[in-house]
Amino acid sequence: MEIEIQLTGSPIAEKISPPQLAAHGAWLEFRGAVRDEENGVKISALEYEAYAEMAVREIRRLLEALSPRHFCLAAKVIHRIGIVPAGEAAIYVGIASRHRAEAIALLGEFMNGLKQAVPIWKRRALPANFVGDEVTSLKSKGIRNQPETPHVVSYNSKIRSLDEAMAEIQSRCESLPAVRVSLEESFGRVLRETVCAPEDLPPVDRSTRDGYAVLSNDESEAFFVVDTIHAADWKPRQLKSGETVRVATGATLPCDGLRVAMQENVERNGDQIRIIKREAGLNLRKRGEDVKAGQPLVQSGVRLDAGKLALLATAGCAQPLVNPRLRVAHFTTGDEIIPPEQMPKPGQIRDSNSILIRGLLQNFPCDVTQKHLPENFESAKSQITNHKSQIENADVLLVSGGASVGDKDFTRPLLEWLGFEIVFSQVNVRPGRPLIFGVNGNRITFGLPGNPLSHFVCFHLFVAVALAKLTGQETPGFFRGKLAENLEDAPCPRETLWPARLEFTNGELRLRPLKWSSSGDITCLTETNALIRVPMNQGSIETGAAVDFLPTQDSASSLSLIFNLRPARRLSYDDCI
Amino acid sequence: MRVLFFAQLKDVTGCDAVELATSSPLNREQLWAALLEKFPGLRGHRGNVRLTRNWEYADAETQFADADEVALIPPVSGG
Repeated sequence: MEIEIQLTGSPIAEKISPPQLAAHGAWLEFRGAVRDEENGVKISALEYEAYAEMAVREIRRLLEALSPRHFCLAAKVIHRIGIVPAGEAAIYVGIASRHRAEAIALLGEFMNGLKQAVPIWKRRALPANFVGDEVTSLKSKGIRNQPETPHVVSYNSKIRSLDEAMAEIQSRCESLPAVRVSLEESFGRVLRETVCAPEDLPPVDRSTRDGYAVLSNDESEAFFVVDTIHAADWKPRQLKSGETVRVATGATLPCDGLRVAMQENVERNGDQIRIIKREAGLNLRKRGEDVKAGQPLVQSGVRLDAGKLALLATAGCAQPLVNPRLRVAHFTTGDEIIPPEQMPKPGQIRDSNSILIRGLLQNFPCDVTQKHLPENFESAKSQITNHKSQIENADVLLVSGGASVGDKDFTRPLLEWLGFEIVFSQVNVRPGRPLIFGVNGNRITFGLPGNPLSHFVCFHLFVAVALAKLTGQETPGFFRGKLAENLEDAPCPRETLWPARLEFTNGELRLRPLKWSSSGDITCLTETNALIRVPMNQGSIETGAAVDFLPTQDSASSLSLIFNLRPARRLSYDDCI
Repeated sequence: MRVLFFAQLKDVTGCDAVELATSSPLNREQLWAALLEKFPGLRGHRGNVRLTRNWEYADAETQFADADEVALIPPVSGG
């Protein structure tokens, strides 16, 4: 059954279209209205309250529990929250089924169940004589329509702190099942097993010099050359006193207990050599000197880079167990958004979020599908329906924009329509407060507030945590560092993630807060490589104070970005010819 | 853990949520004991209140851990 659920602070539409399902013969609609009396007293309105996340889940659970007995095709439930004037509908239920009987039966049982288990309450009745003042004043203050979020009423209890949100994301994301792929395909992926040395490395004693191997305790003056061993040869033999073997660099020594005399320190005459000068060292790499058999070579949970892959190759691990490539679907929304190559008309802006998200995802091997959605719920739904398989196959669905407070913002209903359970829809941070996080089985979704800086912050704080968890690596966390300059800010009731540049100055790592006044500012993105965590109600912070920060650059580019290190001299074309 | 109060229970406790720190998971009795200590006014409501853990109704076996979101659900009256 297709299920759509909304809790809303706005009046329920007069006309609601049935779903476009060819198979349905019945479309049953029920509206439960607020009466003008409650317990014999005339009233003007009822105020409803909900435990929103749970109410949505319970409604869904109820419908799903009923559907095996009363087979219906689709159900849409809308419940009003906040003040609902007498005469207006507090609840709407629409059910599509093949025949009327199933829909009628389902509706009856659903309404009974709702009144038992769904955490929604009539909070209070407003007496009739309140019509003129309280209801109107509530309306004029905008409380009735909850301007903060038009579709779903928000309560303080719903707002997550930054720590809560990060912890909740971690707890709701499971590592994707690991896969075995070739070394070439595993670059950048997270190793999901600890690979141990299958044998000692090096597996045998090897010469590190071109020279002559003799018993290390052999004091003879002259030696008889009994063999020659090249790098690829394998010629075991027990040397006796007075015997030597000619060896090349990297050659496997013929037995234990040898040392190598460098050829520069040897005089050769036919099959005879004399050692002119004895060296202190043995000139060999002992078996197991690098790593002993069974010792861990590369630990589970690390991202495979060139060096680690080389080690895996050495150990013969040609098909490492790694996380699968993530499948990410990304929707941009907003009718004002135009492609970067076009010239914006007044009111339009170029789409920067598509490339921003694609760029931020570079650290996670993934296949990204990007689409722009029209800013109309019904057209967006039909466009999505055309690409349903891509969306259903995506491990992660990101939606840019539409998460905030505008009338047209529809990310949350859209995600619910796609079957996601919204875990939270607000986080007490600046920027990025209207962040939506949802799950659907082992698939996750984020609704990202529209402007690029919010995207940047929310990606590093929240999306990166989820991606790390999905791919089986350690989740990012905050570091401690000192401020290079004053951070000037007025106290803010939210935690702030302040764009900053982590620099190596006067022999110390310091954080320089970047100029930033609103989440619409984006020029600071060119310099940002860290986010300073400013506690709520903190205000300004002085130079030298210790602060928490989150680096936003991956290690690959961190040397040049964090330490300002540059190659001392670049080769020019002239140098090369 | 975060414990949420709804409807008339907000009036009883004077707040809509409270943080309870617990190092080990609590069973239903232990959770109620902690809540009643903080909000004795809840005592009279206990018989009518259902507990939830992470947006699902709890049962007699449910353990409430520090990372959980718990809510006290008085009799509902939606629709």
